Amino acid sequence: MRITLFLLVTIFVQISFASDAQQITLHKGVIPFEQAMQEIQKQTNYEFIYTDEMLAGTRPVTLNFNNASLEQVLHECFRGQPLTYFIRKSMIVLQRKPVSQKQMPLLSKALPSDTVTIIRGVVTDEKGVTLPGVSVQAKGTSSMTTTNTEGEYVLKVPSSAKELIFKYVGMEPLTLAIGRRVQINVTLRASITTLNDVVVIGYGAVRRAEVTSAISSISEKDIKDLPVSSVEQAMQGKVSGVSISSNGGQPGGGISVKVRGITSVNGNDPLYVVDGVPLAFGSSTNYNAGGAAAAQTAQSALSAINPDDIASVDILKDASAQAIYGSRAANGVVIITTKHGKQGESKVTYDTYFGTQQLQKKLDMMNLSQFAQYENQTLQQIATVNATTYTPIPEYADPSILGPGTDWQEGLFQRGNMQNHQLAFSGGSDKATYYTSLNYFDQNGIVIGSGLKRYSLRINIDQHVNSWLKFGVSSTLTKSDQLVSLTNGSATPISIAVGNSPAAPIYLNGQFAPAIQVGGYQFGSNTNPLALASLQKVTAGFNKAVANIYGEANIAKGLTFRSQFGFDFSLNQNTFYQPQVYNGVIPIIPQSSINEDRGIGLFYNVSNYLNYNRTFGKHNVSLQAGQEAWVSTYNDLSGSRLNLNLNLESIAAGATTGQTSGGGKYQSAMASYFGRVGYVFDNRYSFNASLRRDGASNFGPNNRYGYFPAASAGWTVTNEKFASNWKNLNYLKLRLGVGEVGGVGNSGTAPYSARLFQQNGAFGPGSWPANVPNPFLKWEAVRTYNAGLDATLIDRKVELTVDVYKKITTDMILSSSLPSYTGIGTNYNDIQAPVVNAGQMTNTGVDISLTSYNVNTNNFSWKTTFIFSHYQNILNKLNSGSSVIYYSATDALNTSRIVTASMVGKPVGEFYGFVTDGIFRSANQILSSPDQGLAVTPKGTWVGDVKYKDISGPNGKPDGVIDSYDETVIGNPNPKFTYGLTNNFTYKGFDLNVFLQGNYGSKILNFTKLITEGEYNVYNNQLVDVLRNAYSPANPNGTLPRYNEWNENNRRLSDRFIEDGSYLRIQNVTLGYNFPKQLIKKAKLSAARLFISGQNLYTFTKYSGYDPELGSFNNNALYTNVDNGNYPNPRTFTIGANLTF
Amino acid sequence: MKRYTLLILFFVGICAVSCKKDFLNRPDINNPTLDTYYTNAAQVNGATGLLYGYAWFPFMDRAYLSIGDIMGGTGITQGPGDYAPYMNFTVSQTDAQVLNAWKAFYKVAGSATILMNAFEAKKASASNPAYLNQGIAEAHFIRAVAYFYLARIFRDVPIVTDPVALASSSDIRVPRYVQSDVLKFVIQELKAAESGLGETAYQPGRVTTYSAKGMMAKVYLYMGDYENAKAKAQEVINSGKYDLFSDYYQMFSTDKSNNNIESLFALQWIVGGDYQAANHLQTNIGPAPLLAPINAGGYSSVVPSITLLQSFEPGDKRRQVIMEQGWTRSDWTNVNFPNGFKYDTLTTGSATDQALKIKNATRTNSAKYVTGTGSNGDNVIGSSTDMNTYILRYADVLLIYAEAVLGNNSSTSDPSALAAFNKVRARAGLPALNTLTKDIILKERMIEFNFEGDYWFDVQRQGFEKAKQILWSQERGTYDYNGKLQHVDVKLQFTNASQLYLPIPASEITVNDLLAQPAVPYYK
Repeated sequence: MRITLFLLVTIFVQISFASDAQQITLHKGVIPFEQAMQEIQKQTNYEFIYTDEMLAGTRPVTLNFNNASLEQVLHECFRGQPLTYFIRKSMIVLQRKPVSQKQMPLLSKALPSDTVTIIRGVVTDEKGVTLPGVSVQAKGTSSMTTTNTEGEYVLKVPSSAKELIFKYVGMEPLTLAIGRRVQINVTLRASITTLNDVVVIGYGAVRRAEVTSAISSISEKDIKDLPVSSVEQAMQGKVSGVSISSNGGQPGGGISVKVRGITSVNGNDPLYVVDGVPLAFGSSTNYNAGGAAAAQTAQSALSAINPDDIASVDILKDASAQAIYGSRAANGVVIITTKHGKQGESKVTYDTYFGTQQLQKKLDMMNLSQFAQYENQTLQQIATVNATTYTPIPEYADPSILGPGTDWQEGLFQRGNMQNHQLAFSGGSDKATYYTSLNYFDQNGIVIGSGLKRYSLRINIDQHVNSWLKFGVSSTLTKSDQLVSLTNGSATPISIAVGNSPAAPIYLNGQFAPAIQVGGYQFGSNTNPLALASLQKVTAGFNKAVANIYGEANIAKGLTFRSQFGFDFSLNQNTFYQPQVYNGVIPIIPQSSINEDRGIGLFYNVSNYLNYNRTFGKHNVSLQAGQEAWVSTYNDLSGSRLNLNLNLESIAAGATTGQTSGGGKYQSAMASYFGRVGYVFDNRYSFNASLRRDGASNFGPNNRYGYFPAASAGWTVTNEKFASNWKNLNYLKLRLGVGEVGGVGNSGTAPYSARLFQQNGAFGPGSWPANVPNPFLKWEAVRTYNAGLDATLIDRKVELTVDVYKKITTDMILSSSLPSYTGIGTNYNDIQAPVVNAGQMTNTGVDISLTSYNVNTNNFSWKTTFIFSHYQNILNKLNSGSSVIYYSATDALNTSRIVTASMVGKPVGEFYGFVTDGIFRSANQILSSPDQGLAVTPKGTWVGDVKYKDISGPNGKPDGVIDSYDETVIGNPNPKFTYGLTNNFTYKGFDLNVFLQGNYGSKILNFTKLITEGEYNVYNNQLVDVLRNAYSPANPNGTLPRYNEWNENNRRLSDRFIEDGSYLRIQNVTLGYNFPKQLIKKAKLSAARLFISGQNLYTFTKYSGYDPELGSFNNNALYTNVDNGNYPNPRTFTIGANLTF
Repeated sequence: MKRYTLLILFFVGICAVSCKKDFLNRPDINNPTLDTYYTNAAQVNGATGLLYGYAWFPFMDRAYLSIGDIMGGTGITQGPGDYAPYMNFTVSQTDAQVLNAWKAFYKVAGSATILMNAFEAKKASASNPAYLNQGIAEAHFIRAVAYFYLARIFRDVPIVTDPVALASSSDIRVPRYVQSDVLKFVIQELKAAESGLGETAYQPGRVTTYSAKGMMAKVYLYMGDYENAKAKAQEVINSGKYDLFSDYYQMFSTDKSNNNIESLFALQWIVGGDYQAANHLQTNIGPAPLLAPINAGGYSSVVPSITLLQSFEPGDKRRQVIMEQGWTRSDWTNVNFPNGFKYDTLTTGSATDQALKIKNATRTNSAKYVTGTGSNGDNVIGSSTDMNTYILRYADVLLIYAEAVLGNNSSTSDPSALAAFNKVRARAGLPALNTLTKDIILKERMIEFNFEGDYWFDVQRQGFEKAKQILWSQERGTYDYNGKLQHVDVKLQFTNASQLYLPIPASEITVNDLLAQPAVPYYK
């Protein structure tokens, strides 16, 4: 093979594997040396690397071998030749035999000495490691050679040549003036372009340059050192077209990942494929075991995957890439590849960091002195309205003498800390590579009673059995224990504690204090929120064993067969426990209880596929055909007991009276076939097409199968002749793709039949239909059109990728949302409405990724990456007859109300409520304003109450009455765009990373204000703002409404609670230092790095709550950016080290 | 050739796994399906049994007393909170309890309808469909009661008789039907129940043909159809199958009284299963020192009003259902009361007495449906109970009869009316009366059915003017911390006839604009 194809070939090395134990049978007689190489090449997977120059003076060879080894054959062929060779991976690199000092005169005789100079030298990389196989060419001549195993070269250079060019895959090409030198040692720097990176696509991998669809990749470099428990967090702001936001700062808590907008109202979690095996089970806590109302329970889907084991993440963003995953790819596919050992290296690494975390900001709640003022004002107002005598609270008579009282936020939030330890062994020989790691991660959250501990072990092995067969295992064992602080619900610590009165103490007589009586009023709560937060234990234990084993056979040249079996076994162990706690005779937690929930999940899949990939001249063809099947089963058992003996945290200590049990078995299966065709012509035109057929158990026999096709094409403009002189455009590729993928939505188990649901009643057990069946249910379909370009500009200093897309979701699987009067509902014990295919939704958007290598010298480098994502989501159609999906949620006051409306023609999940028009300042104003729905009395609508706008009425026109017709969409939680900006600097041993991310244009529903600005009882603490700015007869210009305990009109969901959610966050700053080699050699280290890092350092935002990064409640797209006592993301400082032995 | 052999083996392996026809056949393995169910009496009775319980819960939780007693004036709430808008007649269309009530009744009715329709479909394949007919009749009864509540709470409401068809149709909107037609529909449903149900319950607590007749009497009375009300009440009285339970207080204070001789229809609760399948009333209305120590509860959210307290005649045994200073139950013990519960509104002083002291707005609690801590053997888990909720009892039938006889007359001395009326008074230990008037009967009903979520409907059916007269004269005030009466009335609050009914929930109008349009006739 000629050097010109060198670049192309080496890339396949990484994905096709061959063995040097291959048997060769050849009967060709005496043939020229070059022809002999071609014959050997045909029989093996080895490519010969040489230049025509080298062949000068070679002798013909005799090829007569029976089952000879490659080594034998080569030994014969090279005997007596002026050449020698070495084998690197699947290449046989030829080189002229070194010219010794003694031979030189001979050589000089053979060639005119006045025209040739002999130049020699060593080529190394930046770390001083010698590089074999580097091509060295005298510019403008045919004189060329490659370096040997020691990285050495010797080159005869005609005196006409002025410069040498050094080229090596993955390195920046280097051109050096020769001058008078005869010894030229060079250092090549790693290439900064990403075009040669390997991109993992479904069931295979290709070079970035050959990708024709929208795929984003990030490597371990981009995510290292970040103190995250789950890799999605580390991806935030780093991948265009992927919106990632934490659903809160709960250690191990849920993370909303949306690939290109909102694909379906049914959830947007992408498919995660780890080393070829789809991730089967997410986990969640059994939150309500303690009687709390709905709270955030989802956990990060990837929390069981140790981020330190991840080598790369590839995200398939458009359907032309996704379709090979068919019906599971509707929300995008995230392919995670874990680390594998490398040939020839043998190293032990130890990475660690320690961190501390704190709350970013506190809400400005009243202290006791302010609270007393507020009480005095308020009780006076209440007495006036009730026409009763105002009886002041004597203790509050002089607020100025009162201290600050209890700061409940101070009590609830703590300094969190975290540590991570990763010990990894990796290495390999020619035949086998291994990677094993042990990890320990431990984090205490910033809310008392929250944390995460994880232990994980990984073993990855790849082994060549013989010349044509290879197998490997990748496996991981994880034990993750999460201590959960319930958030975003009515009875959750944050929402209770924030509103607790500063008059109530946290502790009394060394124990948690009950409510306190002041002047006949009870402040605080007997169920002390800090007692709940610290003594109630909600844990989610997640134990996982994932393994997959594959075998790969080389059947013929270019044709491999791969068979893979994988399983994902998980044991989920959720516990709720609370002790009985009294303060004296007053119950704080009146009854002890424990609830245990165990789920065993087993997922296994089998896949078999054939891969064919060959190059014929300028044509490269790849074909793939295969099959995949999986089965998923889940078996759940739960039980609870009350009145635990001595508060022992065991179900055995509980009373059998009142015990409960529950559980169930679930199963699903899918069987699929898939195929793919790829064709590349002359590195200029490429074309890919794929088709997958999926059969799923979710659907009835008639609609069980779905077909998912895709096609895409690419044109590398810069490989055209006419582009060869383009100066500032080094690389340009245009891409077009279209494809269709599907989803099974939230169809539940067997929605095609009516299941019966057993309940226990006073007359004994009985069964009701659980659902209205839909035998015609079928797949959701998502079609994406994508156009993109990849460009490298200005001397390879700038890389730009731009993709525009349109994604259309049809046949969305929706629970038909029916009015309550049908008697068919969506509560757990309702007869459920039928699940139907309805609705259409469109996302259009732009993803831009721009990398600029601003400075790249040996001592200093500066790289900037900018990520921009924009999408617009429009709901086009819903069930016939309905034009809105309303989403109801329980607010901080435990009232269920409509929070969002997803209307046809508008984005999904917009906030829904009334529009305010200031505050009533006079009785006349009330009488001349629209009827607010209540009598005009002090207990109805009165001066100081919120005035709502009359927007519409039964006839579509304002009707002078404020009622449900006047509710409208009042804010879009979707941002106009999101962005991330990363700057990487290196200076000698130092590296500095500065990362900013944010969004613009999103809106937040600040539900917590229902409590903190609610002004509906005298017991809750309020924001200081209420004291200053609430309307009262004494403060007639107040901007907040008056105190009103008599009706809830002021607390209607309205734009009063909607805030701007735009923010810019200094997400991460990391400063690292690599110790010099000489220094660390004494400690037997080959590399050592120390770093300090700060996360979430500062947030620029107008949002008044704790944290504008809210995500979606349990990843539900219909309930996004609602702050209902959310767990704020903490600020983190870490210090860490990476050591290599 | 080894590699080809291997390949063939793999492909054989694949087919063994995924080419099997039933590989994708994975039905729900936790539940039976409709195709194979409701084929015997036990399955049908099990299903109808659930209609007596948990679907009603969202109404029974808070709306029941908010509407029946707080609006009616027999109960008051002490401060802001869920109940306050009912106290002030400022109930908005986004009120949580409005939605709870609406949802509960439609869920009850919808479930009854789905069962009824499923049973009808099963009749074709049943050899002897008697058990199916029985189930259908029970479902009709339940549906009737649910719509009766809807008509009384919301006046004009949608009627849905085939929810499955509606769910799959292109237009899910249903108009409001005029109240008179809804009541007519209720009567029709009760007639179906009357003819399909037996004379005696096949299981204690199940409804009988007399339950249907008694309920018809109540509906006719509400409609002002005194003839039919009298006739139906008469049928129940003449059957001799029902009588008053001897001890009024005991009837409400222990689950052992469940399904007694006085009960024609009661909701049936059971603890230890679904949360919504149990009776939680005592959690909401009971006193904290009694209930909080056994589990969070005893909120005293609704307490007897001063009007109610002042209405009892001296010696009325029914006053036992009011806990007031000195009221004791020696068999109710808990950590606060190891020697028995004593209702104490007077203790003051040390910090710890908070656990014992009861100082709520009227210094009383209702004892109805408060069965205590479970220390005496009543089934109590947490503070929830097995105690049935009476929806129709024989005392009601007797008073309906008396009122139906009175009809539109200003007074009556009809012996049969007096006999029925005085039977109720006799149990209370009160002397017989010789003449009955509307006001006398209403007052008797107010005391007899206090804290049973019923008095508001008695007020409501009098019409706005009379209702205003009744409500305006009530004392809805409270005693302040020092025991001084703070007078409260509703003269400024109850001012409009529209306040006789609650608004239709906003969320329902949002999805169905017809609910904001004028009501239309159901029967054309």
